[in-house]
Amino acid sequence: MIVFEDVTLSYGTKIILEGLSFQANFHEKIAILGKSGAGKTTILKLILGLQNPDSGRILIDGTDITVLKESQLRDVRMKFSIVFQEGALFDSLSVRENVAFCLREYTDLTEEEIEERVRDLLRRVGIEEAIDLMPEQLSGGMQRRVAIARSLAACEPRMFLYDEPTTGLDPITADSICALMNELSSGQPPDRKGLIVVTHKVTDAVKVAERFLYLSEGRLTFDGDIDALKNTTDDELKRFIYDIL
Amino acid sequence: MKRLRFILSSLQDFYKLSLKAPLGIFRRPFYFKDTLEQMDYAGPGSVFIIILVSLFIGMALSLQISAELAALGLKMYTGKIVGVAIIREIGPVAVALTFAGRVGSGMASEIGSMILGHQVDILRVFGVDPVKKLVTPRVISSILMLPALTIIGDAVSLIGGYYIAVFVSHQSASFYWTQIKDILDFENIFSGLTKPFLFGYTISIISCYFGLTTYGGSRGLRRSTTMAVVVSTVMIIVFDFLITKILLFVLGMRV
Repeated sequence: MIVFEDVTLSYGTKIILEGLSFQANFHEKIAILGKSGAGKTTILKLILGLQNPDSGRILIDGTDITVLKESQLRDVRMKFSIVFQEGALFDSLSVRENVAFCLREYTDLTEEEIEERVRDLLRRVGIEEAIDLMPEQLSGGMQRRVAIARSLAACEPRMFLYDEPTTGLDPITADSICALMNELSSGQPPDRKGLIVVTHKVTDAVKVAERFLYLSEGRLTFDGDIDALKNTTDDELKRFIYDIL
Repeated sequence: MKRLRFILSSLQDFYKLSLKAPLGIFRRPFYFKDTLEQMDYAGPGSVFIIILVSLFIGMALSLQISAELAALGLKMYTGKIVGVAIIREIGPVAVALTFAGRVGSGMASEIGSMILGHQVDILRVFGVDPVKKLVTPRVISSILMLPALTIIGDAVSLIGGYYIAVFVSHQSASFYWTQIKDILDFENIFSGLTKPFLFGYTISIISCYFGLTTYGGSRGLRRSTTMAVVVSTVMIIVFDFLITKILLFVLGMRV
């Protein structure tokens, strides 16, 4: 269970999140919507302990991660698989080396075993043929797929976190990424692996999520399912979701 | 008040980094491959520019000193003055400034890009210490490569000085090299080779610090890179003065 309790965060004088509170189960499929700069990515970073709030508590399975040291956060982070915007691949490493990064750091697997695991992961995300390419040779969609494969190599996550996974992609590629996200989070709750996707593309959000949060000026102004979203009376949110109405 | 708090907090972060990065040398895991890559970028990758800069510095210095000494009828001592100036002062400083411009700016922009592209966040998510993975190899490579580059730079400067002294100022080649040999004593070599180690450490820590504190997109990256070079340049000059003062005291040389 992920719990945000009255979380506030500001950069200098700019308030990013103000009194944010919500709860989420690991099997839920959630989309966090909001305009650019609304603090959506910050929420993902807070969940992983990459940033600390100015005030408030963030509980992951009952543990307040805001008081943990960097070395203690590894166990918390291993519960999640994160794919940042544009993949965040290590650009000096090939696709093979990117996916094998964690396997080399933390396992005693032989080179043959690593190669087999890397190919297996790349096959799972449908991009095995790109194993020898460098990140700059990949299209946007391929970079996202490699990033997903790399995050799966790190651990068997309980939940996937996606930061703008379809931004900058053409509709067909974006659709295939959404399909992959659904495939990775398939199954029935409470056994399935959930996801939190942060995006401003509502049309993609409705393809993968069942619960929607809307952030406006650092505050959570909407929390509900697709029906509630479509029937919202909030003018700003209505304009934001215009594409699906 | 807020500005003062920001400055104090930044200084605290800088000092933490400057202690943590070198201590990473003694703690597992060791990133040998990253260190070798950084050494290749900092060392062999910088040789050509160092040779070019050092050659012209040596020639300019020799030309100026020959002209001044010729007026006093002492131009045969060009080699001695050029040698001491290059080995103790100008060589280490000129090479360090060139190194800061080429390698320091590269470190700041590379790490800054990794920050903006969330690659450093990914390292942290995977449980990899970014200081150990990114900063320590760069500190090791700078500490090892800058002295090596300084030796090459000094040699090339002396050759540049020789060319001017012999072929332009028409001095004796053997006398020039005899004077150079005379000044290659412990004091001068020790002074000239102590500085690059400290300069290498200073440049790498400053550059990595500004890289790691990058924020605000491409403008932020420009700011980090500029600050890395500017602060490194100022600190090289300041530390040069301080080390010279300390070395003169330690070696018992009177001003």
